[in-house]
Amino acid sequence: MNDEHALGAAIIRLMQGVVYREHDESTWQTLQRSGAGVRDHFATIGVELVIDEIEGYAYLKSRPEIEGEDTLPRLVRRRALTYNVSLLLVLLRKRLLEFETSGTEGRLVLSREEIVELLRTFQPDSSNEARTVDQADRTIAKTVELGFLGAVRGARDQWEVRRILKAYVDAQTLADFAGKLREYAGEVADE
Amino acid sequence: MEYGEIESLRERQAAWRLLRAGNVSLVLSFLGEFFVEANRGATPASEVVAALDDHLYVVNAAVSDREADPRFPKSPRAYLDDWAATDAGYLRRFYPAGDEEVHYEVTAALEKAYSWVTTLRGRSFVGTESRLHTVVELLRQIVHGTDDDPRARLVELRRRRDEIDAQILAVEAGEVPVLDATGVRDRYQQFAATARDLLADFREVEENFRLLDRAAREKIAGWDGSKGELLADLVGSRSDIAGSDQGRSFQAFYDFLLSDSRQEELSVLLGKVAGLDEIDADVRLRTIHHDWSEAAERAQRTVRQISEQLRRFLDDQVWLENRRVLELVRAVETAALAVRPAPPDFGMHVDQPGIDIVLPFERPLYDPPAAAEVRSTMPELGDEDLAADLLFAQSFVDAARLAANIRAVVPERATALLSDIIAMYPVEQGAAEIVGYLALTDADLSVEMDESEETLVEYADPNDPAIRRRARLPKVTVSRR
Repeated sequence: MNDEHALGAAIIRLMQGVVYREHDESTWQTLQRSGAGVRDHFATIGVELVIDEIEGYAYLKSRPEIEGEDTLPRLVRRRALTYNVSLLLVLLRKRLLEFETSGTEGRLVLSREEIVELLRTFQPDSSNEARTVDQADRTIAKTVELGFLGAVRGARDQWEVRRILKAYVDAQTLADFAGKLREYAGEVADE
Repeated sequence: MEYGEIESLRERQAAWRLLRAGNVSLVLSFLGEFFVEANRGATPASEVVAALDDHLYVVNAAVSDREADPRFPKSPRAYLDDWAATDAGYLRRFYPAGDEEVHYEVTAALEKAYSWVTTLRGRSFVGTESRLHTVVELLRQIVHGTDDDPRARLVELRRRRDEIDAQILAVEAGEVPVLDATGVRDRYQQFAATARDLLADFREVEENFRLLDRAAREKIAGWDGSKGELLADLVGSRSDIAGSDQGRSFQAFYDFLLSDSRQEELSVLLGKVAGLDEIDADVRLRTIHHDWSEAAERAQRTVRQISEQLRRFLDDQVWLENRRVLELVRAVETAALAVRPAPPDFGMHVDQPGIDIVLPFERPLYDPPAAAEVRSTMPELGDEDLAADLLFAQSFVDAARLAANIRAVVPERATALLSDIIAMYPVEQGAAEIVGYLALTDADLSVEMDESEETLVEYADPNDPAIRRRARLPKVTVSRR
């Protein structure tokens, strides 16, 4: 594979989603070798390339607006998530932080039961256990689709919490959600 | 030691708990052989499971009274899960970065229990002389190593030179003192014990590093003051890994071991020792220095990983972000509990990973569905001869009739031979009818064939009742539920 081809492949991979060092060694190497070229390519359309060496992932994000400069149309789509998926992401974000705080090396893997357990506290009281679990399954499936949970090979009902979650569910996103939720909680209490 | 301390060790120390466990022989025999004796580090679950499966088979065959009632009935995976549970703690279970499979590694606690149990096996003789020499040598190192008076140093160095001079003179005079066989065995025993201990200690070294790391992280996470104070505290409290006693001793060992000349010297020495007649050399000790290097390398990797992550954890942005994130998560949790009876219909807005490109012309263009023509008027037919016979020649076997035949003959919850039923209700439609019996799918009937026996069924040919035919089929029984 020549360089130009490798570069093109790397650009396409990035457009398809997050690139992980451990899953896509060849793209990662291309990014290491000619990251500047890829960066320039995306800079012209207002997209920024983020390479995190330590966490081992690379992804694209919208370049922050710079005052006084004309902003380009937004290319990276924002998605409105459901309440349940949002809640799960927040709880997973916390688990990831705890995992790092405990100093355990390697990857954070949770079983389906553990995830259901995480969510249970925040589910309306229901005698219908099966419904709660079904709902959790749907929420998990959605989160997998978004790429924040990944299936673990050779183990059913085990999910790896991908570290990229930290980049996407950052303090800003959390603050917005917390604010809206607090406001809503106030309304509910008033009624 | 005080009573309370011993009591708490007995309850909480994993090694002691293991010794009290009911299946301690299984745990130690397997984990000891697989991990400790073979000096394995982290190993993928599939390998461990396969080895344990073999081990369980052998052990069960040896200790169980009956095959149907094995002494250790659980699956290998279930045992591993038990042993890796927090309240057991004989195994460490984790997902290493860059690997999809769960890995297992024994803990220092298991190593301790195993080495204690092995010491219970009596030794034919216990060498004491070599240990005395070692002890004296250590004392010398401590005393002279801490003396900063140059004159005292010189006195000691000269004394050693005189000793060596005397030895040289003796050898020149033809007097070569040789260790006797007992002396050799004594020293070899001590060498073997120390060499193995060293290997076992690495696991504890790694575990200590992890403890240091965890202590540091907990401190970081719960820190309220400024970051400068935190750093001062971390370094000052010696929880800084590289600066800890553990870290420095290990680093010194590692540097010492890794020098080429040292490796070569060890190789030559070990080779010579293994060739001595006086001792029954342990094959595994022949290459013990490679095992040391490997284990040290593993520990070194752990340290590198840990300190890299710790550095990142302390990184300004991450540090601030983590605290902010924790604060926000708590806010979300509190609010989420408050709205639990009436969850909102909104969620977060998150950037979607990647950039979707949908090229309109990549999609197939609109393709009008082909209209199917339906003509309901039949074309007029002439008077040609149609082969209407074909339609009438179709034979239809009524399964309901066959089932009724069976029900008429066989009482509920009873069984009969198909040949007997046919004797009562002779076959009217030939082979098709026999096949019809075999294919019955009524819920209350079941048809079974026994290939080991044969039945002959005689029936009249449906086309010509004068001809008798015979069908040869397996013994068929019909039962009603």
